[in-house]
Amino acid sequence: MIRLKDSLSRKLTAMNMLVSAGALLLASVVFFGYELTTYRTNLIANRMTEAEIIGANSVSPLIFNDPKAVEGTLAALRASRHITYAAIYTVAGHFFAGYSRDQKPSRALPLPAFELGEESRNWFEHGEFALLQTIQFQGKPVGVVYIRSDLGAIYDRLKGYGIILLAIMGMSLIAALALSRLAQRAISAPIVNLANTARHISRDKDYSVRAAITRDHDEVALLIRAFNEMLLEIEKRDGALQDRERQFRTLADSIPQLAWMAEPSGELFWYNHRWYEFTGTSPEEMAGWGWRAVHDPEMLGAVLIKWRESLATGKPFDMIFPLRGKDGTYRQFLTLALPVRNAQGEVVRWFGTNTDMTDQQRSEEALRRTEKLAATGRLAASIAHEINNPLEAVTNLVYLARKQPANAQKYLELADQELDRIAQITKNTLGFYRDTDAPHEVDISRVLEEVLTLYARKIRFKKITVRSEYGGEIKTLGYSGEIRQVFANLISNAIEALAENGKLRIRASKIAGNNGSGHAGVRITFMDNGTGIPLADQKKIFEPFYTTKKDTGTGLGLWLTLQLVEKHHGQLRLRSSAEPGRTWTAFSVFLPQHGETTKI
Amino acid sequence: MVASCQSSSIPAFPLFGEPTPVPGQPNPVFSKENQVEEGKKARIIVVDDEALIAETVVEILKDEGFEAAGVSTGTSAIELARDWRPDIVLSDVILPGLNGIEIGIRIREMFPSCRIILFSGQAATLDLLEKAREQGHTFDILAKPVKPEQLVRLIRAQSNRPS
Repeated sequence: MIRLKDSLSRKLTAMNMLVSAGALLLASVVFFGYELTTYRTNLIANRMTEAEIIGANSVSPLIFNDPKAVEGTLAALRASRHITYAAIYTVAGHFFAGYSRDQKPSRALPLPAFELGEESRNWFEHGEFALLQTIQFQGKPVGVVYIRSDLGAIYDRLKGYGIILLAIMGMSLIAALALSRLAQRAISAPIVNLANTARHISRDKDYSVRAAITRDHDEVALLIRAFNEMLLEIEKRDGALQDRERQFRTLADSIPQLAWMAEPSGELFWYNHRWYEFTGTSPEEMAGWGWRAVHDPEMLGAVLIKWRESLATGKPFDMIFPLRGKDGTYRQFLTLALPVRNAQGEVVRWFGTNTDMTDQQRSEEALRRTEKLAATGRLAASIAHEINNPLEAVTNLVYLARKQPANAQKYLELADQELDRIAQITKNTLGFYRDTDAPHEVDISRVLEEVLTLYARKIRFKKITVRSEYGGEIKTLGYSGEIRQVFANLISNAIEALAENGKLRIRASKIAGNNGSGHAGVRITFMDNGTGIPLADQKKIFEPFYTTKKDTGTGLGLWLTLQLVEKHHGQLRLRSSAEPGRTWTAFSVFLPQHGETTKI
Repeated sequence: MVASCQSSSIPAFPLFGEPTPVPGQPNPVFSKENQVEEGKKARIIVVDDEALIAETVVEILKDEGFEAAGVSTGTSAIELARDWRPDIVLSDVILPGLNGIEIGIRIREMFPSCRIILFSGQAATLDLLEKAREQGHTFDILAKPVKPEQLVRLIRAQSNRPS
């Protein structure tokens, strides 16, 4: 129940009282004024009449100097309770006879100054009314009547009126109180009830509660109805919100990722089940900055720097780092976090996920091995073919040398040349297998030449014109076997794409460090006027298992090429046109000078 | 590189810098005798873009008493076959231009009795052979390197077989 210092009913009561008291007061004032005036007029008229009667009865005694007779007349005034004093004075102003209500014998009062010419004079003084009146006989003054009376009558009346007024006031108070009781029942009570309902709802969050509807059709009923409608809306919205919340939780727990939410300050306040399941932690341990506990201490510094940077700038967070599972082993996670912004664009929270990369990294590693193996197989086939031809020639020449001893010298010399060719091929191709653990100096021109030797036969078949634009010393640090693999893939692709009589241009050059791109290194560009790659395919060709050569390709060649280039911290760029009549493709490899590589 | 001992139209190889006439035969280009007769030496065209292989195979076959001529492309092989009516065509599969299978199909169309022997050093040719088989063309295939003795034995067997 709400306690009010200043309730509506009390205000209404006060108002009622004020109004009734005011009206009563005003009426009383008017009434009293009227009463006073009337009384005064009556008083004057009564006293004058009495003075005339006394005067008329006093003429003879005055003439005959018989004060006793006058006293007898005056004694009759005893019936008039309020006359305090009455006396007859001679024309000369001498006391003749008198009457005093309170004093016996009567004490004569001095006659106030009075002109006989005046017939009558009256005034109020000291709470009394005084009247002087000339007594005339045959047109001549024979004496003066002096009457004084108190105002007790009016006081009596006023007292009577006062009692009535108080009684009315009391009654109207009771009436006002009763009225305000009614008002409270009709106005205050429903409002207080409504307020209590609102308070109950906001405390218990129970939006199914409704305020009691009154039977009236007044403003309060309107208010209650509007309030209930609002509650219905809130209940609907609340229900929808709860549904969303449930959906969100289900979604967050059904995804294979670990998921979490953070305050703009960087403190995490919510995690999905999978997080707790993987890390074996409790919500209490993880609250705030507790998440640091499951990080690799060696990586935590870098993670915090990056996280704080994202918090400061509002830019999405994106990083791969290890997290410790409940079994104590670390697994690599790709962590992405996006800021959630309000309508004003301010970040109100962050939403993040951690995707376990360990299996993906393993399968990528398996893919890399598969493709390296496949590439090795293709290379082996290619080498076998390159060797088979001179071997065939040697076999034939040896046979002929045996059959024709006369020409043996000539045949054997030729066989020797062919054997040199075989030796050259093995020497060149050996590099594909020999690789050391540390990066070493790689002669780009030489590697290109070796790869071209390997594909010389294919190039000859298709009558491809190869223009090699490199000379001088172009060297970089790296893994020669892998760089050779990159070149072999790109050249082999170009040959595949080229029709007969096509052109392949290979350009290699050094790039100075201060050319704006920031890095010094070497750039090798392979450009062919073959079939070209449609724009739609240009992004896909670097994805694993994407192939346009369904029968022969594994779809891993360019994917591996890109990986090998990235391992060297380099860049692989593709430009191509499949526009009919003007088809061409250019793959450009940039390898930075510093020779840093990432282990893959 | 086309310089023949017999004729400029026969793209044979200059083996060891000397012309090597086909023994006991008139110039095949001018020969009106196009029929291969029983008991006669079998005529063999050797196709390989590796000149040294074509030349040495031709030399081996000649040494065994066959008539043989070497060419480096499918087009030259078909041209030579039209005039020279070979009994056997011995061809590499992977060649610039027409491949060995295509050469075999074309020459069989012209001379159904002509035998085609293919040889190859690449596994990829198996796919090509499979495709040809699907279209009804079957060929014998030898894997490189082919031993000369083995080759001679095969040629002898083929040339003695009645057509």
